[in-house]
Amino acid sequence: MSGEDAKPLDALYPFLAGRPKDPAREEAALLASIARKAADSVAAKQAFFAANGEALLAAARAVAAVYRGGGKMFSIGNGGSSCDAAHFAVEFQHPVTAGRPALPAHNLLVDTAFVSAVANDVGYRHVYVRQLSAHGREGDGLIAFSTSGNSDNLLAAFAKAKAMGMVTLGLAGGDGGEMRSSGLVDHCLVVESDSIHRVQEVHVACYHILWDITHTLLADSRGEIQ
Amino acid sequence: MKFVDEFRDTEKARTLQKEIHAIVGRLARGRSRPLQVMEFCGGHTHTIFRYGIEQMLPDGIEMVHGPGCPVCVLPMGRVDDCVALAERPEVIFTTFGDAMRVPGSKKSLLQAKADGADVRMVYSPLDALALARAHPEREVIFFGLGFETTMPSTALTVLQARREGIGNFSLFCNHITTVPTIKAVLDSPDMAIDGFLAPGHVSMVIGEAPFQFIARDYRKPLVITGFEPLDILQSLWMLLRQFDEGHCEVENQYRRIVPPRGNAQALAAIDEVFEIREFFEWRGLGSIDHSGVKMREAFADYDAERKFTVRNPKIADPKSCQCGEVVKGVIKPWDCKIFGNPCTPENPMGALMVSSEGACAAYFNHGYGRRSA
Repeated sequence: MSGEDAKPLDALYPFLAGRPKDPAREEAALLASIARKAADSVAAKQAFFAANGEALLAAARAVAAVYRGGGKMFSIGNGGSSCDAAHFAVEFQHPVTAGRPALPAHNLLVDTAFVSAVANDVGYRHVYVRQLSAHGREGDGLIAFSTSGNSDNLLAAFAKAKAMGMVTLGLAGGDGGEMRSSGLVDHCLVVESDSIHRVQEVHVACYHILWDITHTLLADSRGEIQ
Repeated sequence: MKFVDEFRDTEKARTLQKEIHAIVGRLARGRSRPLQVMEFCGGHTHTIFRYGIEQMLPDGIEMVHGPGCPVCVLPMGRVDDCVALAERPEVIFTTFGDAMRVPGSKKSLLQAKADGADVRMVYSPLDALALARAHPEREVIFFGLGFETTMPSTALTVLQARREGIGNFSLFCNHITTVPTIKAVLDSPDMAIDGFLAPGHVSMVIGEAPFQFIARDYRKPLVITGFEPLDILQSLWMLLRQFDEGHCEVENQYRRIVPPRGNAQALAAIDEVFEIREFFEWRGLGSIDHSGVKMREAFADYDAERKFTVRNPKIADPKSCQCGEVVKGVIKPWDCKIFGNPCTPENPMGALMVSSEGACAAYFNHGYGRRSA
């Protein structure tokens, strides 16, 4: 192929002509992508909190009631949402604001022997149910994180928690899935986005605020729960 | 029917089948796994299933169904953008029919039309341009979708619009390119493909040269292939003969359509109107460098992305979806845990179930729901 004939092909497939990526063009495209995703993230948070402020306050009141009653929180999730469950538990157990009390909150994925045993012997659906049976009490609380709202093991855990008289909280994404429709979740907060990343970003902001508001609500009874 | 029957001749098919079985039998000795051949193009996938070609092949060869279905690999966020554009009151949104059913995060273009948006199916971008001429008070947007095959007609339509000074026509450009995508498949660490059947219609535009690196640098043979059943069988035989004889090159089975140098006029039109994007996000495959095109600055007035607000939101496929593994040949559609339930052609969750040319849809529609089928 002559040089002139090859020109359109070289433009269409630069790597074939040995042309490296143009750093300036790539940077401009990446910066535009960052700006667009950051704007989406901000918009998702603004839309969620505008629509769910009262529901979040009600959820914080429920968590405060658990602690005021001497109960504890359990947190669960799968994959990235299990990291949120872990983060939630750490926030309550190890408050970063001086003067706030450490509160009992347990991420139920930490016992790998237990989780792998139940997953292997019974099924992954039961990994949280069995731990709630072992450790949960009436008056405790369960919070679960799911971007779809349809995780089978979380729904099974909600059913168990409800049966045991625990208060249930769910942070979901999309249309809320079965978390929203099942009637098993007392406080279901749904980030109505189909982007898993945007949903999880809002979840982080949501449980940070939930933690903060819970402590504010508990300020008058600090002596009793310490 | 002339020009059809001769490419579906049963006797010739049986002869080729025998040859294929004989070569695969020889090659199978000393091999621990079947030869994996990827047909990149959804049109080939469709032919393979429609004519039961996979059932004609011996166990020692396995077809891997590639990502060459542009409707399938369109990210859901792009469909959302289409719907948002179509729902603007001043807009007539035009598209090829196969894009009408592609689900966005909330609705498809078909559902948007049912909800009152002015969405019209066209057979050519020139039909969209005719609508723009007929409705100067409206903005007519054409949804430019497809590989190098459809790029020239879109580019020529934009050039025609500019020549005629039609200002109410624009293109929502989502054209993607084949060659970087094959490279992305080849660069994948778990890639196990031994050879390729290359897309005939794309090659008609770009010729043989852009595929040479596959044989030269990756040592994978490739045959440019037509779309009739005998085309597929003959191409497989040509590919197997390369394995058997121990050479590795680009061959052109579809010579009745594909000139070795492609179509210079079509390439010139593409070059005049489009430039490559730095990266493009594929549904099921993620971001691939230089795998899509956008309109050049000189055609900004005809670029719907510049003319209107286009959000391009990032919508994730369900996490349980394993389209990426299917297109690399790592798993078969039936190995995906959502194949057939809940992911079906009526309710597609993954890219490859979206169009009838997608591998999962082909498996589902032709009854290959289980490994034993």
